[in-house]
Amino acid sequence: MTAVRVFDPAMCCSSGVCGPSVDPRLARFSADLDWLKTQGVSVDRFNLAQQPAAFAEDQSVRSTLEVKGAAGLPVVKVNGEIKSSGVYPSRAELSSWAGIG
Amino acid sequence: MFTLIEHPTRILFFTGKGGVGKTSAACATAIGLADGGKRVLLVSTDPASNLDEVLGVALAGSPRAVPGVPGLSALNIDPELAAQAYRERVVGPYRGVLPAAAVASIEEQLSGACTVEIAAFDEFSTLLGDPDATRAFDHVVFDTAPTGHTLRLLELPAAWSTFIETNMGGTSCLGPLSGLKAQQSLYAASNAALRDGTQTTLVLVARPDRPSLTEAERTRSELHDIGIRNVRLILNGVFHAQDKHDAIAMALDARGRTSLDEMPAGLRRLSRLDVPLLPFGLVGIASLRQMGAGGAGADEPIAAVAESSYRGENLDALVQEIAGRGKGVVMTMGKGGVGKTTVAVRIATHLARAGHRVMLTTTDPAAHVDAAARERPATLQVTRIDPAAETRRYTEEVLATAGQGLDAQGRALLEEDLRSPCTEEIAVFRAFADMVALGADQFVVIDTAPTGHTLLLLDAAESYHREVLRKPSGHSEAVQQLLPRLRDPLFTMVLLVTLPEATPIHEAMQLERDLARAEIAPFAWVVNQSLTPLAVTDPVLRARRSHEAVHLRELAGHARRTALEPWHADVMAVAPTHA
Repeated sequence: MTAVRVFDPAMCCSSGVCGPSVDPRLARFSADLDWLKTQGVSVDRFNLAQQPAAFAEDQSVRSTLEVKGAAGLPVVKVNGEIKSSGVYPSRAELSSWAGIG
Repeated sequence: MFTLIEHPTRILFFTGKGGVGKTSAACATAIGLADGGKRVLLVSTDPASNLDEVLGVALAGSPRAVPGVPGLSALNIDPELAAQAYRERVVGPYRGVLPAAAVASIEEQLSGACTVEIAAFDEFSTLLGDPDATRAFDHVVFDTAPTGHTLRLLELPAAWSTFIETNMGGTSCLGPLSGLKAQQSLYAASNAALRDGTQTTLVLVARPDRPSLTEAERTRSELHDIGIRNVRLILNGVFHAQDKHDAIAMALDARGRTSLDEMPAGLRRLSRLDVPLLPFGLVGIASLRQMGAGGAGADEPIAAVAESSYRGENLDALVQEIAGRGKGVVMTMGKGGVGKTTVAVRIATHLARAGHRVMLTTTDPAAHVDAAARERPATLQVTRIDPAAETRRYTEEVLATAGQGLDAQGRALLEEDLRSPCTEEIAVFRAFADMVALGADQFVVIDTAPTGHTLLLLDAAESYHREVLRKPSGHSEAVQQLLPRLRDPLFTMVLLVTLPEATPIHEAMQLERDLARAEIAPFAWVVNQSLTPLAVTDPVLRARRSHEAVHLRELAGHARRTALEPWHADVMAVAPTHA
């Protein structure tokens, strides 16, 4: 099964509604990940403020943070490989990486 | 023997609007139980706690023995310290493991108001829901925060255990709460303990005046609705004039009688205890023992103390000066119950009467501004920042913008996130910023929320400010300018409102220090309900008046400017509207 792992910046919640202004990309991205799950993809999402252990344990995520700082987040990995860094990918990109459709 | 609470349950909660004497009542009860041979833990969860001062001991987050009272220990849950400890628990293990920038961004995320609330709640739940945490004590007495905040704390176990159960998103919005999931059983236990009348008694403390009793009835009915039924009432400060020629004493006496005659039916059904108005301040173990003994000694002859010559300024002179500026923000700040609302209404009315355009507004969840503004000049507008309405508006706005183009499932996820406890905080904050922004063109008089909540708002303002500086676009002008505006003494005039008693003055000084940390300096102090400018002859009132002199002298050496507002019979005597 395809596995997507998302490493979010430190934030209150994954849709961003708890921040000072809502980023529509975040709401859309949450919805896209939810859709991926319905397509049989395994999705794990980690928030730096809530699950720092996941960031510390992942060598490639840690090096991204060392090079780019917090601006390197979010990191999206598909089957262990970093596909994007610093941006939220679109549903089309996600489905192409996950080999759907 | 006279006792404040007969047949006490293991857990006792004291609640009531700030300034009604719930800390004194909780302390007197705890001391009484300890004097009777029980082992007692006294807990304060009030962000503006003054237990240290009342008991004469420096309290910490773990129980400390109270000197002079064998069997009594006390602790204070300081929400800021609890949040700090919580932050360190989360971040500590990753220092040196994750890059510094990542650690800093975690810390920043955990410095908001949500974390403070959650961390305090976590500590509170442990004491309530985990029998091991308080096994060493026969009784646990909680001196809780002001009404609105208390209810929020009390409601949380119910609201949040539902939230945890129904949250389908998994990694979805629980904010910093997610770390607490493992302790769900603890919340269930604290929830059950609160509602079990054989374990828990809730003691409402009120003053014998109408607003205080109305507030108490509101609390009683809210508690009843969330399933808390074992409730009692303490009426603190019941006064019978001894000198029939003292007009002030007669007015105070009459006000008390009228309020008791009109006491809401729900309160009338509760078991009730009256504590007389005492001729001394309630600081120190000895005076608390006296309160616990029903104020014994109050009828003894009261020695006359030297009169004070200190008269301060008067409020009208301050208002005159504010009016001269033509526009700006006036914020009345202070602990609940000191009369922030009364002072705000008076200032707003005076400014409007002079022909200025004035917006009178409040962030206080228990707001009575609208009702209290009896006289309404044409240039005076009155609004209330209603948390529920602001949250609704914010939710709709987010769904209309960020929710646009999402499918039904995506929209459902977003709506679920918006049900998080943080949403209200953000919605209220934005409304507050909008109000302050109005001060660029006209007068805005803001009757702020109680101390702790106010500071949380300012704290939120601080982290928003940092956010803004990093990402200058995307935020409203009102939000970007909020903190600079609050810091500008020509834009914002902060009035610290207090009462002529030790505890309220020291609490206001604490607030002044907290404001100083946010680089905000008060314009002046206002001492409300002062007997000093009045000619009283009743022995109890004269004794209280000479007590005032001591506190006013202290204040005279501290504050740059101080106005004394005389006590008058119709202070806040208008029936508040029901929300």
